[in-house]
Amino acid sequence: MAETCPHLAYREEGDGKSFETARAFCTVTGSFVQPMRADVCNARYGLDPATDCEFYVEPESIEDESDATDADR
Amino acid sequence: MTYDDYLDGKPAIITAALTGGVHGKEAHPDLPETPEEIASAAAACEAAGASVLHLHARRDNGERAFSAERFQEVADAVREATDDAVLQHSTGGTAAPDALRHEPLRTDPAPEMASLDMGPLNRYDRLTSENTRELVASLHAEMRERGIKPELEVFNDGHLNESLAVLDEFEDPPYLNFLFGGGTTSPPHPRNLLNRVEALPESVEFNVIGFGPHQLPMTTQSLLLGGHVRVGLEDNRYYERGELATNEQLVARAARISEELGRPVATPAETRELLGLRGR
Ligand code: SF4
Repeated sequence: MAETCPHLAYREEGDGKSFETARAFCTVTGSFVQPMRADVCNARYGLDPATDCEFYVEPESIEDESDATDADR
Repeated sequence: MTYDDYLDGKPAIITAALTGGVHGKEAHPDLPETPEEIASAAAACEAAGASVLHLHARRDNGERAFSAERFQEVADAVREATDDAVLQHSTGGTAAPDALRHEPLRTDPAPEMASLDMGPLNRYDRLTSENTRELVASLHAEMRERGIKPELEVFNDGHLNESLAVLDEFEDPPYLNFLFGGGTTSPPHPRNLLNRVEALPESVEFNVIGFGPHQLPMTTQSLLLGGHVRVGLEDNRYYERGELATNEQLVARAARISEELGRPVATPAETRELLGLRGR
């Protein structure tokens, strides 16, 4: 059973927009996601963010990158 | 449905697709999502000439909802806000399990119409709306049982094959909706609509949707060929390039064009007669 995408956040503001009710926000693309795609982000209906979303990246690789950047500073 | 129908001034049915299930307020700040917002848009569209209201339901955060309960809330609000328009519930839903796809048919009262996707289509890069024959048949069976008129959604020529093969299973007049756009939808070109119409038995009524910038030319062509039209923010967010539209504006423009071309806009009563609907 797939889990909710680690890159999913619910935000009321971001991407130059704001909403009264928090909406699905993708921290990889830095934008609010379309309602249909939010089913992928939430791993609903058997969807899996890792295989069904073209924006998904392994969380480890992000951490690796940020570690490397920190090390260079 | 022919050019003769155009010459005879046959009334044109305008369907307003107010909300859809794909994009939301992240794409258009005024796209209606709550039952109240959808009802208010529905009333404005009915006043502007829409006799059919194509409905989807959303959660409070804008995400798709398929439950009968949420459709009930939307339908109740729309019935309250409108006079006589025909309600058409969407049964579309990429990746949603088959059981959920039946839920929009289970409101009380049942909708007079519902959409029926006739086959698979791709979404984004890795998603497909499967719409297996088995699901199409089971949705149609439930529609028949509940007296709901199906609108057959023909996204491409393969879906036309599928529709023609089972046409005799549908009550007269069968109602086909031709969609034109990108991806696995039919390429939006006037010749493709013409070919479609020529492939239809005369008993069939057809409706046309052009996505995005194709909404205006494809719907105009449909009016010339004796067909009906669907407009609204589900299919097209813009009135013209760079200028966001409202549902009402899109309906009003379709109504104006229809009248100018000599096709009076169908009232809800005329729509019921043309499509053989059971009444509100
Ligand atoms: S599933 Fe894709 S779009 Fe959704 S949060 Fe994850 S990476 Fe972003």
